[in-house]
Amino acid sequence: MITFDHVSFSYPEVALPALHEVTLTLVESAFTLISGPSGAGKTTLLRCLNGLVPHFSGGVLTGQIRVGDLDPVALGPEVMCRHVGFVFQDPETQFVMDYVEDELVFALENAAMPRAEMRSRVSEVIELLDLGSLRHRSLATLSGGEKQRIAIAAALAFRPRILVLDEPTSQLDPRSAREVLEALGRLNRDLGLTVILAEHRLERVLPFADRLVYLPAAEAPVVHGMPDEVLGQIDLVPPVTALGKALGWSPLPVTVAEGQRFCEAISGTDAMFAYARACAHHAGRKCDAKKALKPLPEQTRDESLWAREGRVIFEVDAMCAGAHQPSMKTQDPFCSGRCPTAPVFVLSVQQRGAITSGHCAILEVDSVRQAPQLGLPVLSAQADRPTLVAEGLSVAYHGKPVLTDVSLSLYPGQVIALLGRNGTGKSTLLKALVGLVPHQGGSVWLSGRETRDMAVADVCREVAYLPQDPNALLFAETVLDELHITLRNHGVGAAEVDPAPEALLENLGLAHKVTAYPRDLSVGERQRAALAAVLVTQPSTVLLDEPTRGLDYDAKDRLLALIHGWRAEGRAVLLVTHDVELVAEAADRVVILDEGGIAAEGSPVDILGEPVFGDSQAANPFMPQMARLFPGTGWLTVADVLAGLRS
Amino acid sequence: MHPLSWFAWLGTASLVTLLTRNPLYIVVLFVIFILVMDVECASQRASAGSSGYDGAPSDRGLTLSPLRFALFAVPAGAVFNLLTSHVGETVFFRLPPAIPLIGGVLTAEALVYGAISGLVLVTLFTAFAVLNLALPVRDLIAYIPRAFYPVAIVSAIAVTFVPSTLRQFRQVREAQAIRGYRMRGWRDWLPLFLPVLVGGLERALQLAEAMTARGFGGGARTHLAPVAQISLVAGLAGVLAAGVVQLTATWASAAPVFLTGGALLMGAAIWHAGRGVQHTRYRRPVWHSVDIFVVVACGIAIVPFLVWAESRAYSPYPALAWPLFDLRLGGGLLGLMVPAFARRLSEQSDDHI
Repeated sequence: MITFDHVSFSYPEVALPALHEVTLTLVESAFTLISGPSGAGKTTLLRCLNGLVPHFSGGVLTGQIRVGDLDPVALGPEVMCRHVGFVFQDPETQFVMDYVEDELVFALENAAMPRAEMRSRVSEVIELLDLGSLRHRSLATLSGGEKQRIAIAAALAFRPRILVLDEPTSQLDPRSAREVLEALGRLNRDLGLTVILAEHRLERVLPFADRLVYLPAAEAPVVHGMPDEVLGQIDLVPPVTALGKALGWSPLPVTVAEGQRFCEAISGTDAMFAYARACAHHAGRKCDAKKALKPLPEQTRDESLWAREGRVIFEVDAMCAGAHQPSMKTQDPFCSGRCPTAPVFVLSVQQRGAITSGHCAILEVDSVRQAPQLGLPVLSAQADRPTLVAEGLSVAYHGKPVLTDVSLSLYPGQVIALLGRNGTGKSTLLKALVGLVPHQGGSVWLSGRETRDMAVADVCREVAYLPQDPNALLFAETVLDELHITLRNHGVGAAEVDPAPEALLENLGLAHKVTAYPRDLSVGERQRAALAAVLVTQPSTVLLDEPTRGLDYDAKDRLLALIHGWRAEGRAVLLVTHDVELVAEAADRVVILDEGGIAAEGSPVDILGEPVFGDSQAANPFMPQMARLFPGTGWLTVADVLAGLRS
Repeated sequence: MHPLSWFAWLGTASLVTLLTRNPLYIVVLFVIFILVMDVECASQRASAGSSGYDGAPSDRGLTLSPLRFALFAVPAGAVFNLLTSHVGETVFFRLPPAIPLIGGVLTAEALVYGAISGLVLVTLFTAFAVLNLALPVRDLIAYIPRAFYPVAIVSAIAVTFVPSTLRQFRQVREAQAIRGYRMRGWRDWLPLFLPVLVGGLERALQLAEAMTARGFGGGARTHLAPVAQISLVAGLAGVLAAGVVQLTATWASAAPVFLTGGALLMGAAIWHAGRGVQHTRYRRPVWHSVDIFVVVACGIAIVPFLVWAESRAYSPYPALAWPLFDLRLGGGLLGLMVPAFARRLSEQSDDHI
C-alpha cells in the first residue's frame, strides 16, 4: 500500500504549493492512472514516490508518505531506486550510454552488482519487454516507442515492486503508445508489478488502468477510486465517457469496449435516422456526402422523406475536385481550368441555410470552387487558390530518402491533418515546406511563387511554423519581447500589425503573462507564447507540429478554438499530430504519411471513420473513439453522435 | 575488435602523424583514415537501416565531416603561418615591419608549412573521429582508472551530449530563422548561444534527475585513506621537484628520479582510491585473432618511421623542395587499414550466419 497523508509540498522560491494536503492511498499490484490538468502536481506526486522530491528538487515537504513500509523522504532516491523504478517523459533525456545493453546495465554496474547477476537481470527484462531484437542496437537508431520500452526496461533492472511513469506515451504515435502500454499491462498482470502512470490522454491509458486518481488544479481534494467512479465526478474525460455522461449511460463507460454494450441498444429505424442526421451534420462541418450517403438503405433516399426531415440533396456534376489534387501533376499547381472528375454530391441541411436549390451555405472547398456556376453563394473568395503547395517533394538525409514525391495543397480556410507513425517524415515535410530542409526534388509554392530562392525568414513571414518543441522558439526576457523580436527580425513595426502584439496575446489567453519569463510558463502557455511569436506577422498559413504534446484537455480545447478561429479567418492550417481526437474535431482533410509518401488522403470521415485502413484490410490505427464506437456511420466526435441521435 | 586494439591503432595513427611533416605521408594517412571511417560509417548505416526505423539517421558519429574541416583548417593554417612566420627564401611580398605580428616578409615556405600543419590537424581529427565512430561509449570509459569513475561517467555523458547539443543548436538556429532572423555575419550567431546554453542546462538537469532516480551517486562515499593522501601529496611534490631540479645545474641529473618516484606515488594513491569505488563491469572485451593482426599492423606502420627517421623528415624551410616518398614508410602505413578489413570480414561472417 502506498499512502500520502496530508502531504503538501512547495518548490524553492515558489509561493504556491505544488501539492496541497494530498491524502491518498494507492493500491499495490494495481495499474493506477494519475490525471489532472497541467500544474496540478502530477509530476511532483510521482517524484515523491522515489524521493526525488524533496531530495533532488529541494523545497519544503510536510505530511507523511509511505511506500509499503518505506519512507522515501527519509531514504532518498539512492535507496528507493531499488524499490521504485522511474521512467521520464522523454526517454532521450535519461539515457547515459549509447547502446541498448549498456543502458540496461548502467544502474546495475553503478550498484556494483556481480556480472552473473547482471546477465540474469538483463535477460529477464529483455524477455519481459520483448527487446531481443533491440539488444545490441545503438539507441540512436531506435524509434520513439522502442526507446521508451528501453527506458522502462532500464528502470526494471533493479526488479522494483513499483514502476512509476511520467507521461511515457506523450511523444508516441498511437501504435507505439499501444505497444508501450501493452507491455506495461503485461508487467502489471503477469508479475503483479504496481504501475503508476501520469498521462493527459486518458483515452489511451484507461483501457489498461484499474484505478484512477484525479488531481484537481485548485486546492480541491484529490478524487481517486475505480475509473468509472472518478470519471463521473470530473469534467476532463475521454470522449466515450463524455458520451456516456451525455446520454445518461450507467455505469459510465471508460473504454470503447464498454461503450459498445450501450451502442448495441441503438438499432433499426432509430439508427437509420440517426445515421441520416449524422450525415447532415457532417455535411455542415466537413462534407463528404457521397461517402456518407453510400451506406444508406435505398428507401431512405425517398425525396419526400428527406423533405419531411427538412433536408435536400444536391447533385453536382463535373466538379473541379481534381484541380488541387497533387496527382494531377499540372504544370501550374493552381490549375486555373476545369478538371473533369467524378460527380460529387453536396448535402445541405436546413439549419445551416436555405433549402432551395439556389442556396447552399455548406460546402467544402471543391464545391466552393464551382459554387457560382450552381448559383450558390461563395463562402470565401480566396478559396480557389491554395496558399501553399508542395509538388512532388522529395527529401533525403545523407542519401537516405525521407520524403518521396509528396504533393499537398493548403487552401485558405482549410485545416489539413497529417498523420503517420513516428519517423515517417511528417516533421521533415513541414520543415521542407518552409525551407528549413532542402528538397532534392519537386517544388514548394507559396501564394503562387516558388520558394526555392526565398529565405526561410521570408517564407515564415507568410507561414507560421510551430515546431514540436516550442522551447526552441522562446529566448526573450518577457513574452511580449518575443513578439517584438519577431517583428524586428522581419522589419515590421508593432504599429503596422493588426492585432497589435498585446491584443494577440490577449486573444491567445496570455494577457496576464505579458511580462512573464517565457520559460517559466506552463506547457500550454509556452506553446501559446511560441504561437504568438510566429503569428504576430499575421501569416496566411499555419503549420503546427505535434501541438497537443503535453497538453491537458483544457489546453487542448483552447488550441482547438484557436484552430477554428484561424479557419474562420481564412487561414490555411496544416496540423501534424498523433492526436486523432483532435483531428476528428478540427480537420477538413486528413493525409496519412507512411514511409515518406502519402499513403492515404481524404475527408476525416473517409480516413478516420473506416475500421479498415485503406485497401490494405489492416486495422485502422487512426480511429477516434466515436468512430470505433459507431463504425461506418461517419461519426467522429461526441458532438457528431449527439447531433445524430438527438436532432 | 578489442578496445585495446583500437587504442593501439589510435596511438600509432597519432604518433605517425605527429612524427612527420612530409605532406605525402600525411596525405596517405588522411586517405587511409577516411577509408576506415567510410567503412565504419557504412557499417553503422547498415545497422541503422536494418532496424526498420525510417526516421532521421543517427546523430552519433560524425558531427563535422573531416573533408569539410579540411576545407577550413588547411587554408586557415596556411594563411595564419604566412602572416606570422616570416621565414623562407621565396618571398611573395613584404608588409611594413612596423605592423605588429604580421609585419615582415611573406613567403611561400611559410604558406606551405602552415598548410601542412593544417593537414596534420585534420588528419589527427580524422583518426579520433574514427575511434569515436567505432567504439561505444562504454569502451571509451572502461579504461579510465576506477578512482575516476565519476569522471568516466561525466566523459560518457559529454560524448553523448555533443550530438544532442548540436541537434539543439540546429533547432535553435531553425527557430530563429522561423522568426525571421537572418544570418549575415558571425555576430548574428551570438544570439543563438543563450538559448542553447539554457537548453543545455535544462537537459543536464533532466539527466541528473534521471541518473539520481537510477541510484547514481548513491552508496557510501569513498574517502581517501590517510596513507593514500600522503602518497598523493608526496607524488605531486616529487613531480614538482623534478621540474625544479631540472632548472638547476648541479641536481639536474636527479630529475628523472624525482619524476619517476612522484609518478609511482601518485599511481599508488590513485590505485588505492580506485579500490574504494564500488563498481562492476558487465562486459569483458574478448581478444580475437584479428586483434593480433591489428597490433602487428600497427607495429609495421610505426617501426619504419622510427628506424628510418631521415626518410620521414621534411621541411619547406629554408627553400621549397619536393618531399621524398620512401616506399618502406609509405607501404608500412597501409597497415593502418587493417581495421577496415577486419570490419568487412566481420560483416561478411555475420551475413553468412
